[in-house]
Amino acid sequence: MSYIVTTENLTKRYRDRTVVDGVDLRVPTGCVYGFLGPNGAGKSTTLKMVLSLIRPTSGAVQVLGQPMTRQTRRDLLGRIGSLIEAPPGYAHLTGAENMRLVQRLLGLEDAQVEHAVRTVRMNDQMDKKVGHYSLGMKQRLGIAMALARRPELLVLDEPSNGLDPAGIEEMRELLRGLAEDGVTVMVSSHLLGEIDKTATVLGILSGGRMIFQGTRDELFAASTPDVLLDCSAPERAQAVLSRIGPATLEGSAVRLAGPGNRAVAGAVAALVGDGIGVHGVRRDEQTLEDVFAELTSGGGL
Amino acid sequence: MNALLAELIKLKRSLSWPVVVLLPLALVVSAVVNTLVSGQPLEDGWATLWLRSLVFGGLFPLALGVGTLASLVWRVEHRGNNWNVLMSGPTPTWRIVVAKGIVVAGLSAAMQVLLHLAVLVMGEVLGLPGGMPVAYLGISALIMIACVPLAVLQSGLSMVLRSFAAPIAVALVGSGISIMLLMAGLDAALVSPYGLFSRTTQLGTGTFLDDGSTSAIDVVMILSLSVGLTAGLLAATTWFINRRDTHA
Repeated sequence: MSYIVTTENLTKRYRDRTVVDGVDLRVPTGCVYGFLGPNGAGKSTTLKMVLSLIRPTSGAVQVLGQPMTRQTRRDLLGRIGSLIEAPPGYAHLTGAENMRLVQRLLGLEDAQVEHAVRTVRMNDQMDKKVGHYSLGMKQRLGIAMALARRPELLVLDEPSNGLDPAGIEEMRELLRGLAEDGVTVMVSSHLLGEIDKTATVLGILSGGRMIFQGTRDELFAASTPDVLLDCSAPERAQAVLSRIGPATLEGSAVRLAGPGNRAVAGAVAALVGDGIGVHGVRRDEQTLEDVFAELTSGGGL
Repeated sequence: MNALLAELIKLKRSLSWPVVVLLPLALVVSAVVNTLVSGQPLEDGWATLWLRSLVFGGLFPLALGVGTLASLVWRVEHRGNNWNVLMSGPTPTWRIVVAKGIVVAGLSAAMQVLLHLAVLVMGEVLGLPGGMPVAYLGISALIMIACVPLAVLQSGLSMVLRSFAAPIAVALVGSGISIMLLMAGLDAALVSPYGLFSRTTQLGTGTFLDDGSTSAIDVVMILSLSVGLTAGLLAATTWFINRRDTHA
């Protein structure tokens, strides 16, 4: 697999506070990479180091096959579109003037600018001053500004912040469309639901450390869901199973917290040995939210 | 060139323009008002009007004006995410620094042109004898050149400090110190952009270090100091910005 962004032991310290701690990013080319973590986990700082807006305390960044440093950044940045934190734009200028500015700065064709504006569906808003835009419109203009250069990599930091549900859905569609066009998208969020359906690869950051990186399926596989045992005498069953591990009563079933397969077999044998009838054994339905919450609260797998 | 063309778009509807127009008018009007209030007539005609407008302006008001222009030009970059966009684009830092410097120097030059015209019009209105000395054209041109390092310095300060008022305060303090050095007859003041600018506004007026005649040596000195200071300040700003992190 080829990677468009990799980092080796990427670390950022401010005095005695470590904000990003030994992160090894692996962003496959052509994917939508969901960069997840609670607020303050170090996502923005990591993305800023990827763009060389901030220099790492230690470790290295490689983007598009080349080291990203203060010496190389301006060459590489022409191939990267980004939107970090608040949306950009000059409030005293219209949307069209803001786009013309980007066009002049990057020496772009009219068609490139028009395509970017159409992609974010802002064609009808270009004559308004950006100061009069809603947050969602500013966000879309910001993305158009980043897209106009036809980037190979698009880095978006919390692009759904402040958007209404319709805006968030629109953002999802936009990201999917870009990925289909071959743009690698790296998008951060503190809400799993926002990028769950779009991201093909996930990276989860907590307390500055990468606690998971891989596909959605790998994430599910890495976390063991609870097991529910339906049985004839639930209360007695709970007492029996409590000797093996944490067991709670849930209606006519007993819940075992995250047991492995062998533990499940042991639990069934214990119940049968005690003369309790076992009707059903099933793994609990687990949403990605559960996995995410479990990972970020527990600090790791 | 691309960076400069982009900068020109940002000047549309910019608050810089009122400063460019109002400051020169205010200087000439205050020169006339001072004359009326003090009861001291414009005994040397054009020379006195020039001195009360230009030399007074060069003491600190014009430097504050240039500082305000620089702060206005940079203010938009420190809003929202614009700084990050500027620093995460392919335009090399030095081009950004140079383009902004040219914009601030250009606005300051426009201010000087208006100041020159305002003195001319006011002199005609007051019916001063003879025409405005042609030499003032050359002095105005030199003032515009000597203003370039000042513009680059103020642009750099506004870029780095991210505050609107702080760079203007630096201009006030810088001008104050330079004036004291000039009054003490110390040429050393000329290595400061504030001192060089003040000194140039005094050319041909016989005030401070000036003996009333403008020699070729003065002109060469002003030109070479302007070029040297401008190059040094551009390089220093670029170096600083290339090393600095964006705020976390």
